Amino acid sequence: MNGLSRQLNVIDYSLSSLWRRRFKSVSVMVVFAAVIFLLASFQMTTKALTQTASRLLVMAPEITIQKMRAGRQEPIPVAYREKLAGIFGIRRITPRVWGYYFNETHAANLTVIGVDPRLMPLGEKLAAAIDTGRLPGDHEVVLGQGAEELLGENRMISLFRPDLSLKPLTVVGRFRPATDLLTYDTLFLPPDDARDLFSLPPELATDLCVTVANPSEVDTIAKKIAALLPGTRVLTRSQIEKTYHAVFGWRSGFASVCLLTALTSFIIFAWDKASGLTPEERREIGILKIVGWQTADVILLRFWEGVIVALLSFVAGYTLAYIHVAFFDAGLFRPIMLGWSVLHPRLRLSPGVEVGDVLLVLCLTVVPYLAATVVPAWRAAIIRADSALN
Amino acid sequence: MFLNPWSVALCLLSLVVLVLLGIASRTAVKVLRYWDPASDSNRQISLENETWLSSTLVQYALGFQIFSLVLFVLAADNFSHVISGAMCAVGSLTANRYGMPALWLKLAGAFLYGLWLVVHHFDISSERYPLLRFKYAALLGLMPLLGADIACQTLYLAGLKPDIITSCCAVVFGEGEGKGGNLMASLPEGQTLAIFYGLAAVLAVLGHFLFRRRRRPLMWVSGGLWAVFVGVALAAITSVFSSYVYAMPYHHCPFCLLKPEYGYIGFLIYGALLPAGFFGISAALASLMPAASGLSEVVDRFQRRAVLISCLLLVVFVISVSYHLVLYRLSGGEG
Repeated sequence: MNGLSRQLNVIDYSLSSLWRRRFKSVSVMVVFAAVIFLLASFQMTTKALTQTASRLLVMAPEITIQKMRAGRQEPIPVAYREKLAGIFGIRRITPRVWGYYFNETHAANLTVIGVDPRLMPLGEKLAAAIDTGRLPGDHEVVLGQGAEELLGENRMISLFRPDLSLKPLTVVGRFRPATDLLTYDTLFLPPDDARDLFSLPPELATDLCVTVANPSEVDTIAKKIAALLPGTRVLTRSQIEKTYHAVFGWRSGFASVCLLTALTSFIIFAWDKASGLTPEERREIGILKIVGWQTADVILLRFWEGVIVALLSFVAGYTLAYIHVAFFDAGLFRPIMLGWSVLHPRLRLSPGVEVGDVLLVLCLTVVPYLAATVVPAWRAAIIRADSALN
Repeated sequence: MFLNPWSVALCLLSLVVLVLLGIASRTAVKVLRYWDPASDSNRQISLENETWLSSTLVQYALGFQIFSLVLFVLAADNFSHVISGAMCAVGSLTANRYGMPALWLKLAGAFLYGLWLVVHHFDISSERYPLLRFKYAALLGLMPLLGADIACQTLYLAGLKPDIITSCCAVVFGEGEGKGGNLMASLPEGQTLAIFYGLAAVLAVLGHFLFRRRRRPLMWVSGGLWAVFVGVALAAITSVFSSYVYAMPYHHCPFCLLKPEYGYIGFLIYGALLPAGFFGISAALASLMPAASGLSEVVDRFQRRAVLISCLLLVVFVISVSYHLVLYRLSGGEG
């Protein structure tokens, strides 16, 4: 108990000491909180985007087959389905037609997806992703939030075929904002209409979606498909998910490295502030020494001062970062995380805070700060009482 | 895979520990060369001041090392999302051959820095600093361990290859198979539990006697048993207790306990087990202090306190680790 009460007394003293030098303490805390804010915002944005992607990818097919020629993707014959008929474990193979439609008026690319939802295993869930309206029938279309804003809230829209003839479509619904990461710039329509729009022959599709009955067989079935259909690229859902994680992790890591420069300048600033002792501070340490404080006590005092400053800045910076990401959708960094595009998905980010994430940001900010203040703290602690008071 | 926030944080942490211990070992070299208690020269006075700095630096390094241990496991769990075949931290730690050694080195590092601080505590409680030279020689001895730790960690991070879809990715399926398995084969549950609880009971009884009276041979028996117990406990957590926490009979992982979906119970379990083991073992090692150094009273006080702390933490550990198992057995299902 003796040790605990000593620590409490030192904490008490360091709080009053910080208060006495409040201008200096607050200046360090403001800069530190800003650095923590930047790092934590990035961290939370990555986390929220990765979680959103994982949540939405649950709806993706287990396996996607794309035909490749000369390293580029090209339309796949729908007849490939017959070649795969012998593989047990495949529940259904659905052809999908998709591509990009360039809207010249707004210089933006829209994603056109043509799938028959009745052939998809989670087709009924697709209806749940539609905010207003229903699934499209022949010559009908459902729009994503961004696509609707771009094309206007018309009942009818007309799109250009490659030969510049017009294809009219009736708008019958709109996707929910919660699925924006995947549907923001999307036009969803039946496959035959999509083929008509892209002038694709009926025997071709963009890719084939394979649904598998048993999830633990996905990798084996993917391997069999790859062996049966040389010249195709076989993607599994878990691979797509891992790629999302890796790409977001890479961007976040790159941003952390860039922000390390900000951290370094802060560390130099903190070192400088901790080293530059005013005559009053020297006198204070001299008096403490005379009344019986040891070198170790003064180092302890400085340690607690550092911890208090670091924790207060951390709480302030982390809270601001949370507000920035949760309520302002990480407005400062979203373009970097989502990549280059005219139509950015308007996401509602909900960052989940876990102990690991807090530890990560603590490690990137508080640890270097505490380390930078050890040597100045020791320098202050070894001041001799007589030299300080003269 | 260095360009990931977790890798950046781990490298930064290692760099900080390296700088801190580097400065401390500079003092160590000076002390070993020039320390002369009889002298009152300027050099001796500045050396005395520097010993304060070096002990503070080792204290910080210890704190950061413990931090780094936790962060390393959490990072491994995070890496499992990008490595082919990895389901959780076990998969990514075994993704190349440097993962597990790095973890063991970090654990050993935390234990040895802790021991150094115990020796330092003994040393500064006597005005003659009887253990000073030994202490600083030991500090220099810790540097290769730190070097090995950082080397393993760097090689581990460098060897991690994220599973990214490439232009022709049929190749990817062939890799990474069988990495999502378990660290160790399942041990027979009844025998493991009998040994585990038996050892825990023996340690508690020994602790009770040692708290009243420190007998050297008994102290050694207790220290040896603590070392065995930490090993048995880690094996029992991996093989038996973890499945009850996860409510999955085939998932034997010692790291997923730290995840939020299991209420962070791992922090309580390891936060009790590892310090308990440290104090249990260090109480016995403290008997090695030379009797002539005039430290017997300080050593005795430390041992008494260490025995008490290890026993209290043992109780916390046994309760926290048995909670899910008992709940399962009593209620006949997941609680």
